[in-house]
Amino acid sequence: MTRLSSFATGLRSWEGFLFAALLVILAVNAALTPEFLTVANQINLFQLSIEKVIVALVMTFIIINAEIDLSVGAMMGLSACAFGWMFQNGVDARLACLVCLGIGIAGGALNGYFIAAMALPSLVVTLATLIGFRGLARVLVEDRGITDFPDWFDALGQAPMLGPLPFALIAFGVLFVFLYVLLQKTGFGRRTYVIGTNRDVADFAGIDSRRHKFILFVASGLISAFAGLLYAARVGAVRGDVALGFELDIITIVLLGGVSIFGGKGSLTGTLLSILIVLNLRNGMALMNITGHIQTGVIGLLLIGSVLAPRLRLPRFNRAAKPKEVSP
Amino acid sequence: MKMTKLMGTAAALAMLGSGLAQAQTALEGGQEVDMVLLPKFLGILVFDQANEGAQEAHAELGNPGELLFVGPTPENSVAGQIEIMTTSATQGQGAVMLSNNAGDQIAPSAKAAQDAGTKVVTWDSPIPSGEGEDVFVAQVDFGSIGTVMADMAHSILGGSGQMAVLSATPDAANQNAWIASMQDALKGDKYSGIELVDIVYGDDQAEVSYNRALALVDKYPDLGVIMSPTTVGIQASAKAMQDEGLCDQVKVSGLGLPAEMVSYTMNGCAPEFALWDFRDLGYLTYYTAYGMATGQLTGELGESFTAGRMGDYTIEEDPGRPGSKRILMGPFTVYNKDNVEAAAQ
Repeated sequence: MTRLSSFATGLRSWEGFLFAALLVILAVNAALTPEFLTVANQINLFQLSIEKVIVALVMTFIIINAEIDLSVGAMMGLSACAFGWMFQNGVDARLACLVCLGIGIAGGALNGYFIAAMALPSLVVTLATLIGFRGLARVLVEDRGITDFPDWFDALGQAPMLGPLPFALIAFGVLFVFLYVLLQKTGFGRRTYVIGTNRDVADFAGIDSRRHKFILFVASGLISAFAGLLYAARVGAVRGDVALGFELDIITIVLLGGVSIFGGKGSLTGTLLSILIVLNLRNGMALMNITGHIQTGVIGLLLIGSVLAPRLRLPRFNRAAKPKEVSP
Repeated sequence: MKMTKLMGTAAALAMLGSGLAQAQTALEGGQEVDMVLLPKFLGILVFDQANEGAQEAHAELGNPGELLFVGPTPENSVAGQIEIMTTSATQGQGAVMLSNNAGDQIAPSAKAAQDAGTKVVTWDSPIPSGEGEDVFVAQVDFGSIGTVMADMAHSILGGSGQMAVLSATPDAANQNAWIASMQDALKGDKYSGIELVDIVYGDDQAEVSYNRALALVDKYPDLGVIMSPTTVGIQASAKAMQDEGLCDQVKVSGLGLPAEMVSYTMNGCAPEFALWDFRDLGYLTYYTAYGMATGQLTGELGESFTAGRMGDYTIEEDPGRPGSKRILMGPFTVYNKDNVEAAAQ
C-alpha cells in the first residue's frame, strides 16, 4: 500500500494539512484584498522575506539532522557588515562578495568543528557564535549606516532579472530544486535522516556522522553569508543590526513545516508549504492593515498549533513526514 | 470620483497660482486621500501622541479618506517598516508618514513607493541619505538642544554649581551630538559658573540608569544637577533622587516626557525639563503629507503653507543633510510647574 493511496490519506498528513491551510489563506487573501493577486505584490511578498526563506531551506537539513543553528541571523549580519566595511575601505565589491562567502564558510566550519569534532551541543555552540558573529558585525560598522553600493550590486537585490523575477527569487528556486533532490533522492539525504533519527545506529552502520554534520554547518554558514549579501543588496545599506533576530523566524518556518525539533522527521515540501503559508499570511494581514503585534500573535498561534497537532493525532500526522527509505 | 480629483487638481493649480503671489498656500480640506502614519514601532507613548495629533488634523481637514496608524513590533522594527512601506505602495496610499528606524535600509522601498505615486514624508527621524524622502518634518533644530540644556542647568543651579550628564549608551548618535552641543554652549560666559564633572551611561535601561544616578551622587558630594538627554535616564534619575530623599540637594533635568515626569516636576525633584510636543509633530506632519498627497504642495524649496492652528511653515534645505528638505517645527517646549500638568493629560 502506498502512502498516497488516496486523497483523504494525503490530506490527513501534515503536508496535506498545510496545503489545505495554504489554499484557505490564498482564497481569503484574494477575496478580501484586491491588490493581493497582482504580480507586483506576489513578487514583493517573496522579496520581503527572501533571505529568511533561503536560509530556512538549509536549516531544514540541520534540524532533520537533530541539530540547530542559532547563528544564521548573526552570520547574515556579519556577512552584510563585512561587505559594507570592505566596500567602504576601497575593496572591489566583487572581491568583497567572495570574501564574505569565505567568511560564511569559515564561520560554518567553526561551528562544525566544535559540534562534530568536539561533540559539543549545537545549541550551545551556535548560541556562542551568534553572540560572536553579531559582536564582530557591530565592531565593523557600529551603528552608522553604510550605503551607496555599486549599482550592479543594488540591482541584484532590487531590479527584476528574468521577466519580473529578481535574482534572489531565482536563486531561491534553483536552491530549492537542488536541495530537494539532495534530501529526498540521494544517499546524502538519507544519511541526514538516519543520523537525525538515531546517531548511534548511524555510527554503527558505518556512517561518518561527524563529517556529515561538519558539511551541514559549513553549508549553513555559506548560505547564511550569501543571504546576508542578498539582504544588503535589497535594502542598499547595512548597519550593525542587520538581520537581528532572523534566526527565530527561520526556525519557526521550519518547525511549522513539520520538521521535528528532535530530528529525523520532516521534508523540504513541508518547509516550502510553510514558507508559502507564513509569507501569504503576513502579506494578507499587512494588506488588511493588521498591525505588527497581531501578526506576530497569529504566527505564534500557528506554531503552537503545529507543535500540538502531531501530538493529538500522532500516527496520522507523522506518516508522511517520514522518509521513504531509512537505509543509507 | 474622477471628477472630484480633477476639480481638486484644478483647485490646487489655481491655489498654486495665488500661492506664488502671496507665497503662502492655505490647504483646502475635504479632498480624499488615504494615508499611513508609520511609527518606529508600536507601544510607545510618544508615537501614540503623534497619532492623536495626526487624527486631529485628519478630522480638521475633513479628509474622507482613511488615516491608518500601523507599525511593526519593536524586535522586528527594520524589516517591519520596510514591509509596511512596500505594502503601502501596493495599496496605492497617498502618503506614508514615516518615523524612520531603518536608516538607509528603507531607501529602496521608499523610492519604490515614490515611483508608485506615494509621497514619503518623514518625521521624528529622517532617512539619513534623503533618498526616497520628499520632506522631513523636524521636531526641533538639533543644534539648539545644547543651549536649551545649558539654560536649564543655569536656571536650576542659580548660575553656578556642578553638573553631571547621564546619557543613554556611549554610541547613541543623537545623545552624543546633543551632549557635544551642550559642551559647546557651556563655553559661553553666561555659563562660566557651571562645572561639568562627569558623563555616565545608563544604557537607556531604567534600572541601570537608576543605579548610575545614585553612584554619581556618591562620587560628587557637591553635585547640583543631573542632566539626562534621554527620556529613560531622566525618569530613572528623578525616581532615584526621590526614593533616596535627595531632591533638595540634587535636581534632575534634561529631555523627558510630561506624562512620565509630571510628579517629579510637581514635587521639585525635576523642576525643569524640555521636549517637543509629539501631538504637534503628528499634526504638522499630517498637514504636510496631506498637502503633498493632494497635489496642493509641490514640495519645492521655499514653498510656504499654513498648518491649521500651528501657523505658517516653509520648506527649506536641511542643514544637517545637504540636498534634503525639511520643515522645522521647533522650538523646544520647556516644562515646569506651570505647564507640565496640562501637557501630561
